Amino acid sequence: MFLAIVVCKLLRVIGKLVGKGSSLPGQFALKLCPDVLARVRLPRHIIAVTGSNGKTSTVEMIAAILRADGRTVIYNAEGSNQIEGVTTLVLANASLTGRVRGDVLLIESDERYAARTFRFFHPTQFVITNLYRDQLTRNGHPEWVYDAILPALHPDTQLILNADDPLSSCFGRDREHVVWFGLDRWTGSSDVPGGIYHDGACCPVCHGPMVYDYVHYNHIGAYRCTVCGHHRPQPDFAAADLDLERGVLTLGEGVTIQLAFRSIYNVYNILAAYAVCRTCGVPADTAAGVISSYVLKNGRMQTFTLGSHHGTLLTSKHENSIAYDTNLRYIRQQAETPCVVLVIVDAVSRKYFTSETSWLWDIDFDQLNCPQVRQVILAGRYCNDLAERFSFTGLPAEKLQVCSSIREACGLLLAERGGEDLYVVTCFSDRDKLLDLPDVKKEG
Amino acid sequence: MEFRFVHFYPDLMNLYGSYANLSVLGRRLEAAGHTVRVDRVEPGAPAGELSDADFLFMGAGTERRQKAALADFLRYGDQVRAAAEDGMPMLFAGTAMELLGASITDADGTVFPALGLAAFTSVQGRTRFVEDVYGGTDLFPEPVVGFMNKCSRIEGVETPLLTQVMMGWGNTGERTPEGFHCGNVFASELTGPLLVKNPRLLDEVAGILCRRRGLSLSPAGEESRWAAAGYAVTAEQLRLRSEKR
Repeated sequence: MFLAIVVCKLLRVIGKLVGKGSSLPGQFALKLCPDVLARVRLPRHIIAVTGSNGKTSTVEMIAAILRADGRTVIYNAEGSNQIEGVTTLVLANASLTGRVRGDVLLIESDERYAARTFRFFHPTQFVITNLYRDQLTRNGHPEWVYDAILPALHPDTQLILNADDPLSSCFGRDREHVVWFGLDRWTGSSDVPGGIYHDGACCPVCHGPMVYDYVHYNHIGAYRCTVCGHHRPQPDFAAADLDLERGVLTLGEGVTIQLAFRSIYNVYNILAAYAVCRTCGVPADTAAGVISSYVLKNGRMQTFTLGSHHGTLLTSKHENSIAYDTNLRYIRQQAETPCVVLVIVDAVSRKYFTSETSWLWDIDFDQLNCPQVRQVILAGRYCNDLAERFSFTGLPAEKLQVCSSIREACGLLLAERGGEDLYVVTCFSDRDKLLDLPDVKKEG
Repeated sequence: MEFRFVHFYPDLMNLYGSYANLSVLGRRLEAAGHTVRVDRVEPGAPAGELSDADFLFMGAGTERRQKAALADFLRYGDQVRAAAEDGMPMLFAGTAMELLGASITDADGTVFPALGLAAFTSVQGRTRFVEDVYGGTDLFPEPVVGFMNKCSRIEGVETPLLTQVMMGWGNTGERTPEGFHCGNVFASELTGPLLVKNPRLLDEVAGILCRRRGLSLSPAGEESRWAAAGYAVTAEQLRLRSEKR
């Protein structure tokens, strides 16, 4: 173990000097001592976060809250979240005798590799944000991911679960000490599931028909199976009300939170972070204070100017229809004056090759069929697939423009003098292709 | 002319945008001046009559949902086999393909008897085969494009839909023939809207529907231009990719 720690620390220092990734030192350490993670003495609290959407934002928020409470948090801001990266993180923060300094070890865990990461130790708290259709070209489907996470959940681990998600809530079945978070009915809730597909139509346990008392978005809400009774549990940390117009989230403990980003997407990250931090003993007002002044640092939203247009880029993961749907809903709600929307699909992924575009058919693009959206520009290598998808929405053809390159779309926008607000919907793989163009001026 | 489509389990078997196969087939016929009625079949609902349908369709589902679909679908066994015999066109996309075979074995080894319309057997495992597919069929000269997302090996298909696979997974392994095609029964584990992605396959299926009603399929119009252009881009991407290997 000693040797593994020394080698890992050395490689980490060298790696930082030459700007190399953070998984290599851990990889070597694991070769020298495969069970090194079982041998080190870990902090009292080990918090892991996994799920389809919102992992990074949730982890960043948890770190900020715990630090505000005076705790030393070890976490991997670089996001190397497989076992090698975690090993680097742990050993880099360990003494030569194997004692890991810090009060909390915080890990963002890849859904598919969680079981491997937690083979030699297990989290004290495990947050699972949700399980949605996400990167199916890698992940298969949500139930496949569920089965991959299941062996990572040690019986002694306390689960922090989303009560409103019918699938990931199944992790809490027949387990004790589960902490649930969720959102109660608010003015934005609807009575029936929305979106193009209805993953909440059938019970994930028995496949019987499910009914909903209310729905927050897509299939997330208060579900109940009419056959086996699988239902939304009563949350321990419930948001009692939400006012997206004023940006106020009311938590059940008499705590109100001012939302920096007024999207329901953000609300669930907050609830997850709040629930786990409260469970670890952080006072309610400390947690609420941090969240209220919290600005997301991962650049998911970027404002800029392009000619006469003021632009807002909303990063939406490709191959993730719920991320897209949430941002399309945000545009529909935020846009008051006539606006232009630019949707870019140029590379489906930045990490791997694929021409797979089935996921476009899972996105509810009809949300852009509203009077305030004057024009929709579809751009990138897969602009034709986008155009084909849009031809099945109610959007009139005269509102659509198709550009095979991002540069062409940019030129089109520059030539317009209308000065309308511009909303851009695209993924990490494509966003900089727009933001780095010379005519695009990024704001703070 | 009104065409009647029967869509089996639209919510249960709805992964990867499968439903768009029906949408685009419907539009192809509507553009030619016909009307289309889609009847949904839900699990447990009274079994309707299939013999006067023009097209049967079931999309992809998770392995667990597939078993739930199978449990209900078995009661349609006689009707579906008779319809196939009668030349009724049908498409079973994604995991729905496996329902047509003799049996499905899940990853735990449990064997589920299936419809037995064909003799092939499907064995599911704990490894997933996810990859772009570039192949060819005997139906037309243009390559077929798609994406594989499955965990099964399918043995015993004598008449595959893709007779050659240049890149990606087929029924039994890499670069093996894929899918099933017999008479007017089309089945493929290629996920998502394969009729959107392959306009020639769409024309093939639409043509059969028309011929069975004594009509001829008019050439694709303006509404099909985006799919045609999208196909060209993807086919080129996949061709380059497959040549690189």
